[in-house]
Amino acid sequence: MAIPNEEPVQPEGMLVLPNTVDVLKLGDQLDGAKLIVLEFPKFTDGRAYTQARLLRERLGYKGELRASGAVYVDQIPFMLRCGFDSFASTQKGFEEALVKARKKFSVVYQPVGDGRATAAELRLQRIRTQAAA
Amino acid sequence: MPDAHFYHYDDYDRTLVRERVEQFRDQVRRRLAGELTEEQFKPLRLTNGLYLQLHAYMLRIAIPYGTLSTRQLRQLAAVARKYDRGYGHFTTRQNLQLNWIKLEDAPDAVAMLAEVDMHSIQTSGNVVRNTTADHFAGAAADEIEDPRVWCEIIRQWSTLHPEFSFLPRKFKIAVTGSPNDRAAVRVHDVGLRLWRNGEGQVGFEVIVGGGLGRTPMIGKTVREFLPKDELLAYLEAVLRVYNRYGRRDNIYKARIKILVHEIGVEKMREEVEAEYAAMKDSALRLDPDTIEAITRQFALPRLVHKPAMVPEVERLRLEDRDFALWLKSNTAQHKLAGYRIVTASLKPAGAPPGDASSVQMEGVADIADAYSQGEVRVSHEQNLVLPHVAVEDLPAVYRALQRLGFAEANVGKITDIIACPGLDYCALANARSIPVAQRISNHFANLAKQHDIGDLKIKISGCINACGHHHVGHIGILGVDKNGVELYQITLGGDVDFGQTALGTILGPAVEADRVVEAVDSLVATYLEARTDGERFVDTYRRIGAEPFKERVYGNPQ
Amino acid sequence: MAKNLSGELHVATANRLADGAVVYLDDVALWTTRLDRATVARDKRTADILLERAKAQSASVVDLLLIAVVESDDGTIEPLSLREKIRASGLTFAAIAADAVRYA
Repeated sequence: MAIPNEEPVQPEGMLVLPNTVDVLKLGDQLDGAKLIVLEFPKFTDGRAYTQARLLRERLGYKGELRASGAVYVDQIPFMLRCGFDSFASTQKGFEEALVKARKKFSVVYQPVGDGRATAAELRLQRIRTQAAA
Repeated sequence: MPDAHFYHYDDYDRTLVRERVEQFRDQVRRRLAGELTEEQFKPLRLTNGLYLQLHAYMLRIAIPYGTLSTRQLRQLAAVARKYDRGYGHFTTRQNLQLNWIKLEDAPDAVAMLAEVDMHSIQTSGNVVRNTTADHFAGAAADEIEDPRVWCEIIRQWSTLHPEFSFLPRKFKIAVTGSPNDRAAVRVHDVGLRLWRNGEGQVGFEVIVGGGLGRTPMIGKTVREFLPKDELLAYLEAVLRVYNRYGRRDNIYKARIKILVHEIGVEKMREEVEAEYAAMKDSALRLDPDTIEAITRQFALPRLVHKPAMVPEVERLRLEDRDFALWLKSNTAQHKLAGYRIVTASLKPAGAPPGDASSVQMEGVADIADAYSQGEVRVSHEQNLVLPHVAVEDLPAVYRALQRLGFAEANVGKITDIIACPGLDYCALANARSIPVAQRISNHFANLAKQHDIGDLKIKISGCINACGHHHVGHIGILGVDKNGVELYQITLGGDVDFGQTALGTILGPAVEADRVVEAVDSLVATYLEARTDGERFVDTYRRIGAEPFKERVYGNPQ
Repeated sequence: MAKNLSGELHVATANRLADGAVVYLDDVALWTTRLDRATVARDKRTADILLERAKAQSASVVDLLLIAVVESDDGTIEPLSLREKIRASGLTFAAIAADAVRYA
């Protein structure tokens, strides 16, 4: 869901992390976290993509993961794959783009935490089905 | 038309490229309509290979591991004809550059590339770039394993990687499968060298933090032996460490080589190994069936047994001195005795190095169809390679290349110059490089003289970004700008061949454009006088040092 | 974006967004590929005005900036820097002709 940028109130269960934070060192700060907000100070600064993946895949974080800062339409496919599920963006047309973006790339090469089968996995399935046939 | 023996796209690969073309088409539309600012659009167009140069946009087309089918080469010729000025430039990273592209045509141009399973994805921008390989891969006699299998595996893993699409800076990977490193792995962000250990297993030496440019550095070994199926997990660990810790405050200090330099190779190794250990059992471990399916596609074509000794060829070698020289310099040993690897020299005397017209590209494709199993390679020295030519076909190939002007017997010689486009084309340049290359080339055009001088690599860059790889030229020439005047700084002793990697040292003050040829002449004369039997230029330099060369070029110091 | 306003003459240049062509701002604030039609600012005040005019027309171009030029006796305008000379007049060598079978 796209959420307009507003001052974070820091309710309980919410963590706002600068993109220089090593998420692997958060320890029990993560307990009970329901919303983690990660930062893109410039859209060309990609450190939050790593933070997102580590939170989701290494630390098993299941709550809401929000992208904030310089959040633009053309980065949506990457953000979705890294585990972001909400976006604080003021860009015009972001909502519509978000809907379309989920369908934009039907083939992916890299195994990430989004559960999508990669081309390599699909190929192996093919080889194995053919072998069985 | 024979089927080329390397990786062929399946429907998954094709779908990805086509969807990317559509995404790019939409981004261009939005930019032209003013819905995207240039600041928002620039990284998007860069990651589709589109630069803005001095006169026009330039499209950099990826040629993965420098390997092309003739169908693909013909399509490059067609794209150059339709959307450009009928010629292109082969680069030091095995790509093709078209210099006169219009932004409004770019989506159609990349759509045309997609028809033959080609693209320009990630040939620019702060992403993992085209992974390069040995241009003799698969054919070379000294090869342990074909590096292109791994280049293809890396290509897929690195294409539109969601975590690594906004790195601190560009990232270049090269792979060699031979102890004679023809891929310059030690001057890449990550270099991979396939080798066989004491137990007979083949794995990778992983070298990190090499690079040229403003602060040239030779890469350091972070892992001596990495099992092949762990390659992607390890690369992911390296990239993750870089994405997290690479500097983002200063674009001149943002490459991974700076990070390695600043934290030291031990700390780098510690960080990478820790990250790698945390993910080792991950989905990135390569399934043997996956490796096998890709390896099979790179199998050597079933080459009919041919004789190594052919009377007609021997006769021609004795009768035609130029053909004899061409055999010596432009052909290399193939895995099979009845075949040779032929290099088409894109350095005719006085020509801009590495350029080919559409007609020439099609001409090379014709030769490759008739005589090289439909396959062509691009070397990082800006030449084209025909990897599988039967010895008995060498005279015909020679004559066909002569018609295109690509049979100059100068491969590896002084006129086989590597030069970046320089200030004639490039917005980053300080000085021109192509006219300098042309003057040197014309001056040393005499073939017998070139063969007497022997192996000598001149590399010319028009600015400190070093796209001409001048740091690793036996003679390196760097264009600089002083008060609006073009000056050229000369370095000696750089190298990337035969397992040696060395960065050249500056000879003395930069010289004016019209003194460069004279300076090179002095360097050559010094070598010819001082050399002992069998010594190449760079060997003599290593033995006698810079002083004699310096004296000859600059005169005795007062 | 303005460069070195030391009393030299200046023109406004950019690359056209749609096709990358080198362009200059002319007397009626349109972008022309012809340097000889560029409007010339002869002092700092006019240069500042020229830059503002150019910025107002910048939607269709990229990399806009003022560059120093010199004027010969017969009124021909030439850029001061080698880089801009090359931008104005093209490659300084003969590229291979389209569809050439060989170079030269």
